[in-house]
Amino acid sequence: MNIELTDVTRTFGRNRAVDGVTLEVGPGVFGLLGPNGAGKTSLLRMLATVLPPSSGTVRLLGRDPAGAAAKTEIRRRLGYLPQNLGYYPSFTVAEFVEYFALLKEMPSGQVPKAVAAAIERVDLGSKARSRLRTLSGGMLRRVGIAQAIVNDPELLLFDEPTAGLDPEQRVGFRALMRDLGQQATVVVSTHLVEDVGAACSEVALMADGRVVFRGAPEELTAQGAGHEVGDSPLERGYSAVLAASRKRVAA
Amino acid sequence: MTAVALPRPGRRFRPARTVRLEIKHSPVVWTLPALALIFYYDTYRTALGQTPTWANYASLINGHMLIYICVVGSGLAAWAGAREGRRKTGDLLATTARAPWARQVTVLAATAFWMVLAYLGETTAIYVQAARVSTWGSPPLWPVAVGVVCTVAACAIGFTAGALFPGRFIAPIVAVAVFAGEFVGFKAVDNTYDGAYGGGDSTNALLVPGQGLPHLLEAGVFYRIPPDVYVAQLMFMGGLLLATAGLLALSPAARVPGVRGVSLAAAGGRALVTLAAVAVAGGVAAAATAYAVAGTAQLNQQTGNWAIPALHDAATDRPVPYTPVCASAAFRVCIHPAFAEFLDPVSAALQPAAAEVAGLPGAPARAELAVNWALPAAAGTTSVYAYSGTGTGGVGGSWFGGPPAEIIDAYWLQGVQQGFLFWFVDGAAVNASGNPDPAQQAVADALLAKIGAPAPDLGPFTKAGTPPASPGPAAQASAAEIAAAARRFGSLSTPAQRAWLTAHVAALRAGRVTLAEVP
Repeated sequence: MNIELTDVTRTFGRNRAVDGVTLEVGPGVFGLLGPNGAGKTSLLRMLATVLPPSSGTVRLLGRDPAGAAAKTEIRRRLGYLPQNLGYYPSFTVAEFVEYFALLKEMPSGQVPKAVAAAIERVDLGSKARSRLRTLSGGMLRRVGIAQAIVNDPELLLFDEPTAGLDPEQRVGFRALMRDLGQQATVVVSTHLVEDVGAACSEVALMADGRVVFRGAPEELTAQGAGHEVGDSPLERGYSAVLAASRKRVAA
Repeated sequence: MTAVALPRPGRRFRPARTVRLEIKHSPVVWTLPALALIFYYDTYRTALGQTPTWANYASLINGHMLIYICVVGSGLAAWAGAREGRRKTGDLLATTARAPWARQVTVLAATAFWMVLAYLGETTAIYVQAARVSTWGSPPLWPVAVGVVCTVAACAIGFTAGALFPGRFIAPIVAVAVFAGEFVGFKAVDNTYDGAYGGGDSTNALLVPGQGLPHLLEAGVFYRIPPDVYVAQLMFMGGLLLATAGLLALSPAARVPGVRGVSLAAAGGRALVTLAAVAVAGGVAAAATAYAVAGTAQLNQQTGNWAIPALHDAATDRPVPYTPVCASAAFRVCIHPAFAEFLDPVSAALQPAAAEVAGLPGAPARAELAVNWALPAAAGTTSVYAYSGTGTGGVGGSWFGGPPAEIIDAYWLQGVQQGFLFWFVDGAAVNASGNPDPAQQAVADALLAKIGAPAPDLGPFTKAGTPPASPGPAAQASAAEIAAAARRFGSLSTPAQRAWLTAHVAALRAGRVTLAEVP
């Protein structure tokens, strides 16, 4: 398993953002669904080694990120696209992706080819020399994806990756996720259940810091039988699971 | 899935490409034209009006350039240091394998690279100009070393402030703070010099970069400037740099995105944190040591240089050997080769004055440049008229206080003559008020009139060229009485004048001749 979480908790002051999550994830595309404040981003940041857990154990790619050397090894094999991508406007697309390839300590001889390949995979080849300040929001999102995949990572973490992409780009990105999921573990945190349905082989739904559902997208769809909230079967399953979770919490 | 190992990068830290990217995108690039303009209007134009010695030119590179280089450098470094916080790239960068301190050092290195390049470029321009006009010596390198370290330290301080307190206003805040610090420092330095010359004050302010050169035109000419103050400055700035680098390495621990408090792991682990803490402690210790030793500095009255006992090498107190350059004229005038361009004007000015007194008792056989703070020996007791660049004979003024082409005019030449003839008639003996007495003044005025030079219109003056604090002998006679006596003596034939002077010059110098006794 590339991700092994055991009873992981993360608190910020009195707020328990992630509450006793236990999860094992292998290769493939794994969807992380949930409403705002469910704890998806905090969980993803722990998987990205940005945040240490308050309690519980985390193992990534067979290593414990608490150790400095292991963390560096994990980070060399990690790709991460945060929810809000910060960027340097004066950098060109190629320079920005190269910058992250270097920070990920890729062997310098491999960097130029890897940068070119990553930019082509997100269909920004024609914009490689454009400065980031000149790009649209959707293009910047694709630059973020390019920097995440430039090191051919074994663990890829996408936080709202399709936000800002037009429908055609979203279709292309789902295909890219499926392709990446052939070899790596791809975790996609999103509000957009159609992304999950189209690209994920497995999905977890979080609410109030806990995983309240885990299974295949088809199983989530099945949970929505008879539930009326939602435009698509998957959305109805999503709403049904959340409603049940809230009833349990209220009870 | 088993973990597929990426080819491991070399163990050696190879930041070259990252640094190149940062250099290309450094905000300093945009300010280089402005720095060039400031340099031209502030430093370069000032340099063109300097006395053409290496030490005088060197005083500009830190006394002028370093002020704005440090202000601009620290502000821009703060802007660069705040970049991760300002651009909200902290989360993204935190997931990369490169250690935070290494990542930040590359950004700092790029900023410091441009600022040091600007500093060295401007220093080169100053030194090229100095090489064109100076006639002796070689470029002082200690001030350059201090300037480079100070520039890097200012960048490091600004960068660390930006990294710790990222925001849009950190750059101007840091720049203003550095400027205020410099202002306070230079004010303290002024007090130090006042104290040194007037008696007793703290010398810690000598640590302010840009100082260390004595405030003398002839600094580094007769005695080389010892590196004492520069070493203390390097120790102080190096200490600040080391401590700041340690703080910078610790800074990621204090600002993990979304986490309050300090995270040692975020700073790269316990070993790195320990190393950074040692750097902070070592840097503070070095700076404190430098501060302490600077407080023991003393102004050497013989050499005119600052000496710090703990750092001082007595060998630097020996005079620098030189071969004077001399003009081939009836009255031999010699000068230090550093001021060779002044030789011909000084010689031309002294020839007619020397001719007036040639053969008289105590008339000098030659003139030679002396260390500026050495008063000439009394006329009649020496065969050498020792003049200085900051005052000739009894006349004050900075005679070498600029490039010869700019400062030498008829007034300048007459001043040299006045200095010589007043020295001859008053014997350089300091009377009660430090002024020539009325008889001496009348005779000197008459001799000056014979060679076409006006009598000094300064009224009674002291050896230092400042009006006397209390009325002296000259004030006991009215200007009209002195002028009448000068006219009376001037109307005598040259043989009659020389005969009277031969008989009475010793008494005249001794102040035993009254105005009425002047023929």
